[in-house]
Amino acid sequence: MHIMEGFLPWQWCLVWWLIALPCLMLGVWQLKKLLGADREALPLLGVTGGFVFILSSLKLPSVTGSCSHPTGTGLATVSFGPWVTALTCAIVLLFQSLFLAHGGLSVLGANIVSMGIVGPLVGYGVYRLLRDTSLNVYLTVFLVTALADMFTYVTTSLELALAYPAETGGVVSSFILFMGVFAVTQVPLAIVEGIVLALVFKYILTLKPDILARLNIFSEKQIEAARSEC
Amino acid sequence: MTYRYTLELIAGMAVVAFCVLFLYTSATMSGAEFAGSDNVGSALIAELSGTTVENFQPIIPQWEPPSGEIEACLFALQAAVGGILVGMVFGFWYGQARGKIAE
Repeated sequence: MHIMEGFLPWQWCLVWWLIALPCLMLGVWQLKKLLGADREALPLLGVTGGFVFILSSLKLPSVTGSCSHPTGTGLATVSFGPWVTALTCAIVLLFQSLFLAHGGLSVLGANIVSMGIVGPLVGYGVYRLLRDTSLNVYLTVFLVTALADMFTYVTTSLELALAYPAETGGVVSSFILFMGVFAVTQVPLAIVEGIVLALVFKYILTLKPDILARLNIFSEKQIEAARSEC
Repeated sequence: MTYRYTLELIAGMAVVAFCVLFLYTSATMSGAEFAGSDNVGSALIAELSGTTVENFQPIIPQWEPPSGEIEACLFALQAAVGGILVGMVFGFWYGQARGKIAE
């Protein structure tokens, strides 16, 4: 999902930076408030952020004959919402643009918007919709993770399509072209990532159910039910 | 309460299926280079804007890992940082949970 340095006109770089910055500031504010209220949230932040680090370092092969990164943002999204997740992603993406030439400082805003903001925002919407239903919590985590991953790449496609509309068909037809490169590659990765992070969530739930209940991520009843199944 | 392994089983099968899919793709698809989709995307940008990939110069000067080995090293470092974080916290929680039982 990285847009490479230099591949986005500066006007668009500016637009995405201007969208990303307030979201990051909101993330800093939320994180301060959260950690001020409950220090026990810090280890959970460590685990969920750790998975963003691990998964976004893996380049996995896919059915299109090219490789792509999972995003790993699902757990952080479920636990802390999109703004804190955006902050985690910003750290990873900064590291990758400084040392790995994946993305770059001018396109960092655009990459934060896709991986850290729109993806997690969609995931968070799904989580809020499903949280109060009787759906199994693991299925919820799976769907949040897989959709956050998918929509990261849909957003990248959109960002590129807006900057590079095709001569015939404009933004729509180049969006379809970019989706063919990014989103199709991502489908199997998103599914596997969703399943793996649902499994990780099971271990969090087994070891530290009280933090999930206290942060009101899932209700005690749901947690109790999830502990006895799967 | 007995421990159930349904999710572990599903995850194991998903990973195996993923590997099989990869092996099948790499064996049957001609011209599958497994390059990064970032690069494929960049090539498409060049095609759409009617120039070559080399024409795109960084707006902000950028350091690039001099070789694939160094890039792999730095990626491994990134994963290691994540792994340490995850391992540390799970260990901490495990210890806490054990401590509670011992009391």
